[in-house]
Amino acid sequence: MPTFTHGEVSIEVDEDGFMQEPEGWNEVVAHALASTEGVDDLTDEHWKVVNYLREYYLQFGVAPMIRKLCKETGFNLKRIYELFPSGPAKGACKVAGLPKPTGCV
Amino acid sequence: MERPRIASQGDLVRFLDQNEGIDPARLVPLPYPYEDWVDEPIKEITEDQRTRIEVGPDGVCGAQIPVPQSEEEKERLVASFLEGLRKLLTKENNWTFLQPLLLSMENCVKCQTCAEACPIYTGSGHMEMYRPTFRAEVLRKIVDRYIKPGGKLFPKLRGNDIELDWETLVKLAELSYRCTLCRRCAQQCPVGVDNGLLTREIRKLFSQELGIAMPELHQVGTVKQLTVGSSTGLNPAGLMDIMEFAEEDITDKTGLEIKIPFDVEGAEYLVLHNAGEFLSWPENLQAFAIILEAAGISWTLSSELVGYDSVNYGLFYDDIQYSRIALKHYEIAKKLGVKKIMMGECGHAHKATMAVADRLIPDSLRVRAESCLVALEDLVTSDRLRLDPSRNDFPVTLHDPCNITRSMGIIQPQRNILAKIAPRFREMEPHGVDNFCCGGGSGFAVCQSLNFPDWRTRVSGRVKFKQILEAFADSIEPETHKYVCAPCSNCKGQMRDLLTYYDAWERCGIMYGGLVELIVNAMADIPEGFLEWEFH
Repeated sequence: MPTFTHGEVSIEVDEDGFMQEPEGWNEVVAHALASTEGVDDLTDEHWKVVNYLREYYLQFGVAPMIRKLCKETGFNLKRIYELFPSGPAKGACKVAGLPKPTGCV
Repeated sequence: MERPRIASQGDLVRFLDQNEGIDPARLVPLPYPYEDWVDEPIKEITEDQRTRIEVGPDGVCGAQIPVPQSEEEKERLVASFLEGLRKLLTKENNWTFLQPLLLSMENCVKCQTCAEACPIYTGSGHMEMYRPTFRAEVLRKIVDRYIKPGGKLFPKLRGNDIELDWETLVKLAELSYRCTLCRRCAQQCPVGVDNGLLTREIRKLFSQELGIAMPELHQVGTVKQLTVGSSTGLNPAGLMDIMEFAEEDITDKTGLEIKIPFDVEGAEYLVLHNAGEFLSWPENLQAFAIILEAAGISWTLSSELVGYDSVNYGLFYDDIQYSRIALKHYEIAKKLGVKKIMMGECGHAHKATMAVADRLIPDSLRVRAESCLVALEDLVTSDRLRLDPSRNDFPVTLHDPCNITRSMGIIQPQRNILAKIAPRFREMEPHGVDNFCCGGGSGFAVCQSLNFPDWRTRVSGRVKFKQILEAFADSIEPETHKYVCAPCSNCKGQMRDLLTYYDAWERCGIMYGGLVELIVNAMADIPEGFLEWEFH
């Protein structure tokens, strides 16, 4: 399993850079992961998305539907792509420390 | 320049020793407006990654095989393979598929009719290692040399000079994940050889004997489904949250107050959806609810683990995992005492639950299973729904999921439905039982790791994308919204990735979705605009 190191952060990730142990996530880790997604600065808008994804995942074991993510954060899909260029699943979920989505999604 | 071809039996072995990368310039060309389309190269697997994961002979990583830690481990794996191969060829250990496997092993006359039938072989620009007979031939040579009595004598003379070592196994395993099991080759074969089945049996051997399988199908596929309840990771609490949201969404969009039913004993139908719909295409499950309620049908979903996810990836790679899931689906239906199971818009679940399980399930567990396409055809053509086809006044084409069409022969119901609701429907060519796979078949669409998604969009899905462009050639401009109707979750995942990679929504206005969404969009009693034309 590869190790991702950035500054003081050192975490196990999968081959596509998703965290393997989501419980090890914190804000410093989020900044480190964001750097791999071309997001240099996490603004309040980024945090709104990240925190929502995080809370949802901890409760239900999956990322929320994109439609629900948009409704709850008030951002449309276009805005989410502007915030996280790889999109909600590959970008935002990665920064929020979620594992890579699985199944027919 | 022509690609080198395999001319003799010995060539095949030599060919296996060479690696051949994918050359974007050789991929099948696309029509207007993609004549000048330049493909991005397939991502290379890094040197660091190669220390952990084996890479296929085409530079692509599908099975994601861990690199063995020692020579002893390699030898052990090779020995396990041979042991597994012996089992695969005996009735006691392979009673499910031995007969078609042997027929396919023994009867191929090497006429190569299958080659031009394969969208991966042709789409790639005729890469030899993707030829449908290639992996079958490798397996035959291994059997001839290592299993048959006297096979080790004069191997060169017999054309069996294949060395069974770890490197050969890696190539065979990876190549078994370069075929979508669409079985178009089997359909075209004049003697009925099924190279799709043969490929699936190779995957099975690797999975059941060596523990090697695409992780998306196994670890985070069937294993996750059997432990958490769904390969998506969705637990029952998450399921209820999604349904609550779906009910609100239905009310917002249509004004209807629908309670999505769960665990209703004795219902007419237990509807089995692919849980991917819940997360990625919730409009699909909503449309099902709207139609079934409008038609006054008694139906239910299950909240039991596995019962709310129709997928059975075992179909693609492993008999044991397959059986565990199939049994679970039938047990849940039996316990609820429903009259019938209705398979939602998921191709492989159709085949796994209706066609394969039907031959294996004990009578005590048998529940009649029906395709949603057949049930919906009844509702749409018997005028139980008030329909206004002018609401769907845009070009529509139909993608035929291989498992539903070629493997099961369900061709006309979906077309009878479209005839009632889509005035500008046009067929792709070829279609029906002759269709081309979306390129995401056999679970490929769920693999988002390493460079496999690159391969899916550029190589295995290339012919399908070409077909879509051709079907819409008369109205290809982006201002005209167009709809690829793909009644299968896996195919939809592949459509999304294809249309995204080729930027086809922006460039050509091509959207994709299921069949029930189109039906609801045409329902006269529902406010207009169920289809939202927002690419996702």
